[in-house]
Amino acid sequence: MQLAIFIIFAILCIFGSILVITLRSAVSSAIALVFVMCVIAGLFALVGALFVAALQVIVYAGAVMVLFLFIIMLLNLKEELISEDDKKFTRFLGIVLGTAFLFELAFFVRTALMRGSEALYEPVPKTLSSIAVISSELFTKFLFPFELTSVLLLIAIVGAILLAKKKNEK
Amino acid sequence: MIQIPNINISIIYPEIIIFITAVIILLVEIFSNGKKWYAQSIIALIGIIVSGYAVSNQWNSFASGFSEVLVADNFALMFKLIFLLGALLTVFLSIWYFRREEIQQGEYFFLILSSVIGMMILSSANELITAFLGLEVMSLPLYVLAGFDKKKLLSNEAALKYFIMGAFASGFLVYGITFIYGATGTTNFDKISMVISSRSFGIDPLLLLGFILILIGFSFKTAFVPFHSWVPDVYTGAPTPVTAFFSIGPKAAGFAILFRLIIKAFAPIGGSIIPILWILAVLTMTVGNLIALTQRNIKRMLAYSSIAHAGYLLISLVVGNGRGASAALFYLIAYTVMTVGAFGIVILLGEKGEKDLSINGYSGLAYRYPAAAVVMSLFMFSLAGIPPTAGFIGKFYIFSSAISKGFIWLAVIGIVNSVISVYYYLRVVVVMFMKPEIQAGRVVCFPVSLMVAIILAAIGVLQIGMFPQGWFEAVRYSLIGLF
Amino acid sequence: MHGPLWLILAFPLLGFLINGIFGNKFNRVTVSLVACGAVGISFVWSAVLFFRLIALPPESRIYVEKLFDWISAGKFNAAFSFYLDPLSALMILMVSGVGFLIHIYSHGYMGHDESYARYFSFLNLFTFSMLLLVLGANLLVLFVGWEGVGLCSYLLIGFWFTKKSASNAGKKAFIVNRIGDYGFLLGLFLIFVTFGTLNIAQITEQAPRLLASGGILVTIMTLLLFVGATGKSAQIPLYIWLPDAMEGPTPVSALIHAATMVTAGVYMMARMSALYMLAPLTMGIVAAIGALTAIFAATIALTQFDIKRVLAYSTISQLGYMFLACGVGAFGAGIFHLMTHAFFKALLFMGAGSVMHALSNEQDMRYMGGLKKKIPITFWTMLIATLAISGVPGFSGFFSKDEILWESFASPQGNILLWIIGVITAGLTALYMFRLIFMTFYGESRVKSHIEKHIHESPSVMTIPLIALAVLSVIGGYVGIPHLLDGSDRIGRFLEPSFAHFSESAIEGHHSAGTEWLFMIISVIIALTGIYIAYKMYIAKPELPVAFAKKFKGVYTVLYNKYYVDEFYGYTVVKPFIKLSRIMYNIFDRVIIDGSVNLIAYITEWTGEVLKWFQTGYVRHYIVTFMFGVVIILGYFIFR
Repeated sequence: MQLAIFIIFAILCIFGSILVITLRSAVSSAIALVFVMCVIAGLFALVGALFVAALQVIVYAGAVMVLFLFIIMLLNLKEELISEDDKKFTRFLGIVLGTAFLFELAFFVRTALMRGSEALYEPVPKTLSSIAVISSELFTKFLFPFELTSVLLLIAIVGAILLAKKKNEK
Repeated sequence: MIQIPNINISIIYPEIIIFITAVIILLVEIFSNGKKWYAQSIIALIGIIVSGYAVSNQWNSFASGFSEVLVADNFALMFKLIFLLGALLTVFLSIWYFRREEIQQGEYFFLILSSVIGMMILSSANELITAFLGLEVMSLPLYVLAGFDKKKLLSNEAALKYFIMGAFASGFLVYGITFIYGATGTTNFDKISMVISSRSFGIDPLLLLGFILILIGFSFKTAFVPFHSWVPDVYTGAPTPVTAFFSIGPKAAGFAILFRLIIKAFAPIGGSIIPILWILAVLTMTVGNLIALTQRNIKRMLAYSSIAHAGYLLISLVVGNGRGASAALFYLIAYTVMTVGAFGIVILLGEKGEKDLSINGYSGLAYRYPAAAVVMSLFMFSLAGIPPTAGFIGKFYIFSSAISKGFIWLAVIGIVNSVISVYYYLRVVVVMFMKPEIQAGRVVCFPVSLMVAIILAAIGVLQIGMFPQGWFEAVRYSLIGLF
Repeated sequence: MHGPLWLILAFPLLGFLINGIFGNKFNRVTVSLVACGAVGISFVWSAVLFFRLIALPPESRIYVEKLFDWISAGKFNAAFSFYLDPLSALMILMVSGVGFLIHIYSHGYMGHDESYARYFSFLNLFTFSMLLLVLGANLLVLFVGWEGVGLCSYLLIGFWFTKKSASNAGKKAFIVNRIGDYGFLLGLFLIFVTFGTLNIAQITEQAPRLLASGGILVTIMTLLLFVGATGKSAQIPLYIWLPDAMEGPTPVSALIHAATMVTAGVYMMARMSALYMLAPLTMGIVAAIGALTAIFAATIALTQFDIKRVLAYSTISQLGYMFLACGVGAFGAGIFHLMTHAFFKALLFMGAGSVMHALSNEQDMRYMGGLKKKIPITFWTMLIATLAISGVPGFSGFFSKDEILWESFASPQGNILLWIIGVITAGLTALYMFRLIFMTFYGESRVKSHIEKHIHESPSVMTIPLIALAVLSVIGGYVGIPHLLDGSDRIGRFLEPSFAHFSESAIEGHHSAGTEWLFMIISVIIALTGIYIAYKMYIAKPELPVAFAKKFKGVYTVLYNKYYVDEFYGYTVVKPFIKLSRIMYNIFDRVIIDGSVNLIAYITEWTGEVLKWFQTGYVRHYIVTFMFGVVIILGYFIFR
């Protein structure tokens, strides 16, 4: 049962991702991305990480992607323009290399699964995904990285404002 | 009940000092009108120096903190000093440059300093998530800095390209981290190493996969071939002081974390990736040098040559023992001063907008500005590795470390490469001294701040080159406790 | 006891700094005084040290002076120290002495040049580097001097850099030398790995213990060092830079490209004689290359018309003799010839400079002739030098060359073939040198008429050094009169402690004095024959050379074009290398990813159209390269 749901979600996820990169219109592309985020939330829920799943929906599908859409519509982006000169060749190479990469990853994972005996491939215990455990981890073990993200956000804000400011507006 | 971990905030004093300085600069930018560029630059310099003092106070303390996600061993501290040195020289390079280009925005110093925070964290990270965040704190300001000159199309383009590719590379890094966590159940370097050695049979494929992906993620920042393609465009497009900063800071930070990964976290499986590093080293040196040969633009030439220098440094990573690490540290110090010097001269001789940066533009420079030409030759000699300069000793140290570990061929290829590099570095010298002057009208002024940077760099190149003894000892001490 | 050695180095360095920094503000006389004074003091101090050394008993003639610990990293230790033994004492005396004379000469010769101070500061820097090379107690210090003289040579060859040929010649010299240095550096690494030190005395001491005689390791080591020597000392196959180096001012040719720097390779091999004696194969190669270079360059010299080029090829040829001497284990003879050659070849170059000075910088011997009466001092001094180089008995070259020739036959490493080549070369040497003298000073004047009026002898500041060197060219040989002529071979015995020697058992049999007499007489006869032929061809029957050139047109053209070696290198080395670098540029960064279309845009980039750049820097292509790397690396771990 769980496997069937996983397969359905996985296929939906891949399908959505392909849509994100193939759709020409930026709005449709972003909406496809929202869809992918939701499906990934489903995958999280499937392994019992309910809190993360909720975050995924609220933060990514909700806040971030809505902001994306908002900006895209604000800027009124047209279909993207790609010069045609060598697009086909590059796309061909991209597909070949992407597929090769996929198979290589699959190979590594398969070898790992075949060895089998390592205990750590078991799913993470349910307790680890509760809000309490996650927050206590964040505020003890990962306190420093957690605080560091605030610096990162400050830099991002300053950088964004700087780049967006009109030229020589002083 | 939540266990309050050992925080030991004192180990991030240097980072905190830099951060406070950066915020003060930002506040000055917001709340003060009128001329504040110089004030901000002086604040930045003071912050860097105080932070350097804080770093040196931690020497030999071997502290760790924040649940072991950070360590402040001498190795990290030495790297922090290198970053601070690079930042200090970069600030000196910038003061006049941005005045000339009329883009004196104080956020510049904020960005430089916050990038330095990222590098410092990266060098003392003892945990993968911290390392990743350090990398992002370092990179985000760099993306903005590349596009700092908004009037220039090339600069905007550089920022965008760097950002897209950087994000792409970060994806590999994070993906790798997830595999490591999956395979070992931890992200802490010490524990990863323990888990790996406790495993009974063979190398776990997922662990290996994760390790490789992490390496690839960092290889982007250090610009190893074939992860180098962003370098020429970004280096050419970015404002010149930023280019100088790019070629010293992130590269050194990348090596700091790569060394820590290879000799600490993944030490038990470090041997398995030596062939790959070997090939990357050869590719990076050779491709960087051969393409640099054909360049006509000085910034682009220096960009490709910086790829080649990353290749020499990779040799020390292949060697992977204490000798290699100390050689790399030494080389990075030498590389920092000589690169800053070379870019300093490029800034000095450029004109507003830097429309012409072709090497031929330096024709006959020796007639008009003999001192500038001589100093530039000094930096070129050092980059080419000709005695008695810092570059020579650095290369000698790296190659001899390779030979002592038995990588004779790698050393041979390295030497062949440095011989090739002589050609294009020397072309600059030849053009300056042996071609007739073409730009008779060029007037160069000698701003104090820029002079300070160039003279410091020149003294550094000669001092390190002629009396390397003290530096050898410093880099040797910085390895205590690491092996 | 020996007083500080560093004083010898300090003065030229000081001279370089003073003239380099303040030179433009000084007048010419002050610049000359500083430069000549610096080298002069250095010479005097060298002489004092030399005589103090001689006063000591032979076994204690070694003095090491350590300035400071230069580098010590782990096992690696290199002190910045100097080493005075008979070999280096002789060398510093020669370098500073000949250097001093040439500095004085330069005051006259370069009197009208604009960059007077630059010239003298470089010349001082050169002297400093050369002395450093000679005095260095370990190979790293020696290497610093080695690179330093290379740099100065490059700067001085391209001194008149506004001339395209001069700056090209400078580049050529530097690049060719870097190829040699590459071998040298590898040799240093190998020595360091083997011995754990670069200290020459320690290497010499440990060599017999650590290395098997004739072993592969010592052979490779010595061969690599030899590659360095072929670059610096202009031997086959790396000699091509020296003839072009004549683009520099003539005193520079005399100092750097005749008397001192080019002999650095010989000096280095003599210094490392302990290693070379353990590698008979290398010795054989060195001797063969030396002999080949000697005869090869001599044949080219026969056909050249540029007076300085004749001398340049002659230098290459004479350096070949020195290598021949080293190759047969006669290091003392090699150094002896190095010294006498320094005297007469510096004199020849300076004489040639004096001739050019008289003729408003004419270098082509076809536009000279009949100068004997007009510039008598130059003529007589050059004649003495020519007699010396031709090996006429009584002059210095005779003693040193004869010793080399004899050793090339009599030494355990020698054989009759080497001797024959050497003797033929001696004949050729006499021939082309007298050809030079006859074409320049005898016969009808062929000088262009507008120059004819101005012909004048050089000022005394130039002729006095000529005379001084002429005296040395005559008497310089008498320090090494062989036992055969009832002499005591003082220089040979003086230098003996500095070299490794063949063991007694290696010296098979003993050649009788009669044989030695026979060989000496043959070589003298051949030299005299050479002079006679030159007389026949260039004075008695001046139409003969033209007839010869016509009759043996093929041979003549090949010789005149220097065996087409430059062209050969151009096609086999330089061009493919440039191509390779272009190909790498295309394949790695562009072709694989961009396809051929964007190539056109990159050709535009080469032409410097900056604005076109960002049109081709597509991020997607960069990502493809990136992925390419990822796939390959992961693939390696799957398929390994």
